[in-house]
Amino acid sequence: MNRKFWVALSALALIFGAFGTGIVAAQSPTVVTVWFHSGQGAERDALTAILDRYNASQSVYRAEATQLPEGSYNDQVNAAAVANALPCLLDFDGPNVYNYAWAGYLIPLDDYLAQVPDLAADIIPSIIQQGTYQDKLWSIGTFDSGLAIWGNKKMLEAANVRIPTSIEDAWTLDEFNAALEALRAVVPADGYPLDLKMNYGAGEWFTYGFSPILQSFGGDLIDRTDFQSADGTINGEAAVAAMTWFQGLFKNGLTSATPEDDNVFKDGKAALSFVGHWVYPEYSAALGEDLVLLPMPKFGEKAATGMGSWNWGITSTCAAKDGAWDLLKFLLAADNVKAFADASGAVPALTSVLEADARYAEGGALNIYFQQLVGGVAVPRPQTPAYPVITRAFAQAVDEIAKGGDVQTALDKAADTIDRDIANNNGYAPRN
Amino acid sequence: MAVTTPPRRKPSLYDGERRLALLMLSPAALLLLCFLLIPFFMAFGLSLTNQRLISPNPTEIIGLGNYRELLDVRFFPLAPRLDPDTNAPLRDAEGNLVYPAVREILRADPETRFFRELAQIDLFGTRYLIAASDATFWRALANTFMFALIVVPLQTAFALMLAMLVNQKLRGMNFFRTVYFSPVVTTMAIVSVLWFFMYNPDFGLINSLLGVVGLGPFRWLEDPRSALFSIIILSIWQGVGFQMVIFLAGLQEIPQELYEAAQIDGAGRWRQFTNVTLPSLRNTTIFVVISTTILAFKLFVQVDVMTFGTGGPFDSTATTILHLVNQGYRQQRVGYASAISVIFVLIVLVISVLQRRVLTNREV
Amino acid sequence: MSSISQTVGAEERRAAQARARGYRLRRTLFLTLNYGFMLFLVGFFVFPVVIMVVSSLKPERLVSSDMRTIYAFIPREATLENYTCPDYQSPETKCVDGAGGVFERLPMPRLFFNSVFVTSSIVLLGLFVNSMAAYALARLRLPGRGIVLTLVILLIIVPFESVAVPLLLLVNELPWIDGTISWLNSYHVQIFPFAADAFSIFLFYQFFLNIPRDFDEAARVDGAGGFLIYRRIIVPLARPVFATVAILQFLAHWGSFLWPLMTTRGFEFTTLPVAMNVFFGQAPRQWGDVMAFASLATVPVLVVFLLFQRWFVQSVSASGVKG
Repeated sequence: MNRKFWVALSALALIFGAFGTGIVAAQSPTVVTVWFHSGQGAERDALTAILDRYNASQSVYRAEATQLPEGSYNDQVNAAAVANALPCLLDFDGPNVYNYAWAGYLIPLDDYLAQVPDLAADIIPSIIQQGTYQDKLWSIGTFDSGLAIWGNKKMLEAANVRIPTSIEDAWTLDEFNAALEALRAVVPADGYPLDLKMNYGAGEWFTYGFSPILQSFGGDLIDRTDFQSADGTINGEAAVAAMTWFQGLFKNGLTSATPEDDNVFKDGKAALSFVGHWVYPEYSAALGEDLVLLPMPKFGEKAATGMGSWNWGITSTCAAKDGAWDLLKFLLAADNVKAFADASGAVPALTSVLEADARYAEGGALNIYFQQLVGGVAVPRPQTPAYPVITRAFAQAVDEIAKGGDVQTALDKAADTIDRDIANNNGYAPRN
Repeated sequence: MAVTTPPRRKPSLYDGERRLALLMLSPAALLLLCFLLIPFFMAFGLSLTNQRLISPNPTEIIGLGNYRELLDVRFFPLAPRLDPDTNAPLRDAEGNLVYPAVREILRADPETRFFRELAQIDLFGTRYLIAASDATFWRALANTFMFALIVVPLQTAFALMLAMLVNQKLRGMNFFRTVYFSPVVTTMAIVSVLWFFMYNPDFGLINSLLGVVGLGPFRWLEDPRSALFSIIILSIWQGVGFQMVIFLAGLQEIPQELYEAAQIDGAGRWRQFTNVTLPSLRNTTIFVVISTTILAFKLFVQVDVMTFGTGGPFDSTATTILHLVNQGYRQQRVGYASAISVIFVLIVLVISVLQRRVLTNREV
Repeated sequence: MSSISQTVGAEERRAAQARARGYRLRRTLFLTLNYGFMLFLVGFFVFPVVIMVVSSLKPERLVSSDMRTIYAFIPREATLENYTCPDYQSPETKCVDGAGGVFERLPMPRLFFNSVFVTSSIVLLGLFVNSMAAYALARLRLPGRGIVLTLVILLIIVPFESVAVPLLLLVNELPWIDGTISWLNSYHVQIFPFAADAFSIFLFYQFFLNIPRDFDEAARVDGAGGFLIYRRIIVPLARPVFATVAILQFLAHWGSFLWPLMTTRGFEFTTLPVAMNVFFGQAPRQWGDVMAFASLATVPVLVVFLLFQRWFVQSVSASGVKG
């Protein structure tokens, strides 16, 4: 028995070994390696289809794509960067671009983009704003994000809450508070007025979603004049006021720190859902005509919302930079931008596509996103190489605050973490 | 050995044996050297630098700077705030003395600018502030010790109890043995996700089950008082089966005559347990305790998965290895994280040596 | 029997019967409590796995809402859509999460193969190198034996996480046998760093030390050299410890996460635990899919264990794993 077992195991290993070494293939056109994150099914399928079309459309370059699990995407990119093993073209969540550019593993795209002025003029300003660091453009996204509040029209009407339709008549803080109280009466007993998607966990969502609240209250994540210190900003009076209000949502039972799952809003257990564009396909399927998109409230003087999403950059170690740009240009072709935006519900990055899309036109379901992006409501996340540390520190603070921690203490800790990191990196002085 | 004269061992035989020994040792030695020892020495070297994972800045040798940042702890005597008019100490509504804000004190000195409070203690009528340069590290260290202090005895005792249960000469013991062992073959990263789901305070299965018997609801991972405890339950659930099998092996080696002799002496079940079982399992227990301790100190995956890498809430589940991974990989401070690993290995080393000393020298 | 009943008076007989009844009663009570307690523990140990499998067979919308009810243990509206849903793109399909099942989202056969291949290679290679090293330490005259042994015991405590980054820097510079610098994104980068294992050497060492010397002395007289003794005498005697080490190493590496994460990209060489990160992104977490994936990664190992469990417990017993 024992011997047979070992023989069988060894044979198995030998077969596997033969398999393992047998998988090597050769290519002839110039290969452009591409990494992208495995997003939702429809997104991934759309991107795969576009890449297939690219390979079929020409024979000079061949895109070889690798899909990386999203949950550990940044970790894998960092490991590859350490090992000098990055691909030619890769996508990454927007605000990481400054760190990547500072570290020197991306190349500026300005010269390439200058060759195609039509495209340059067509890209929406928020995309350029997000990709710019030290006056150079390092990344381009084929779509932007939209962050506002999804509402259940039936519930809003039942609670007699005014439904704003433009960024000008967005709710004020008092109105928002009153609306939440009023909605308490119309949500079921096991529900709550506002869904904040806390189930996403302490990660980028916390920064993307909740730093606009800070900004609308008049605070921010870091002092943006020189990006040298967060102290007094992330833990300043306005920020503390913002996060104290935020904590109140949990304390007063207006939202949950541990939502049951992603279906709270779809199942009618929450009247409002504070989340980005990516839920649109699901929400519209579940609620249909009852789904309304409400602009971000004006917590203070003015409203603020998030922007930026996954972007493409070309690496400095790439042997086929022209090929990478050729592929990026293909990804930015109007048809492809549209195909991708349709699949994901994201805001297309080209004005021409946006204008042709009825959803973003006045009265369209997603018009609020368009207004917010062009109307100055959207704020880019801090354009500094310290961003990875800033976002971790802030997400942790949000986590602690949601769980009932002292607001000032949590934000002080975030400020110290950020400032210490900046000091440790000599202020993230730009490369020359 | 049918020999009249012992064979005289010629030096060449020794040589042959030495060569063979070196030959047989070398694959493992080479692999360990290459993939564990050299990287560890690299880590030691890196701990003296400000090396970052990815940075355009040149790496500088900073001597013991990382160790200073990691280990620096200071004590500040706190003077109560005085009323500016009367010069009498201020008191709050409950009559307690009012002390100045900790952060103001720490930030007054550029050296302690990033320090955070660890604790405040009253000693001989004076309030002292203990502040650490890397407060999270000390909390993580305390949590790691706490985890080991709870898990090691609890898991060892539980494993012994399970082993005695499944060692009974009754029907179906094979079934129970299998079931109790089964969590060991699950993957920690995966079952952590599962337990995270079950710990949800609002809809999680654990609260639902406890609710049936009128307990709870508990806020498991959300509450700093119970978060580490939640991690402990999962860890024991996943790991105890293995120790059970080891104890079972030990139990089966105890000669039956020992029990019979004890029975003749009139020893009851408890006396049999303390006088026969425990002493006979001495070596097994030492093995279980030491190996569980080493594993306990390496606590990482469960916490990383269940707290999204934060070690929260409020550092209540931060562990040394989590801090190391967060600093070295996620905050890209390779040099600093290397200092953490050097300190960590030193601590575990001291503990294992002490444990071995104490456990093996104890009179039975 | 009959002679006894004749001699004992009726009163004494009744007393004896009462004693026997009392004993039976106590015995029944003891057995009931005993089995009751053991069954309670069965619940503690299996319910998470049961929940995992049951949840994986439910439509997404029921997965978490059922947790508050008895349905947590009942696969109502059973479906395989979390496992596979080939036509997920068509609007008519019932699986509404828009991503398909686990088999659509991930190349599961490939991932399984990778996990099995990497793990069994580590185990097999490890059995060779670690047992040989232990043999050299335990039974051969080796210069510097004490130092090597101390070093091995010290290495047990070094956590992998603490050397991960330097190791990455190191393997990145290492040449592979074909002369190229190609360690990243391969099988061998996941295998060789873990083949030698200090704890395995320690377990082998302890076992080898306790094998009586007479065995090899006899063989030596018959003219067998050291290696032959290892192969013909030690290895056959040490089967249980080989099995135990194999199982321990398998379990340790089947779940390994950090290293494959750092050294592989995409799904060509990566293992199951890394691939699980597909489900944890900005996109909503689909618990049904997660449970399906977790079941797929857990159940086969569980089945293999069930098949071999009797053999396994015996091995650990016989291997004398202890201080």
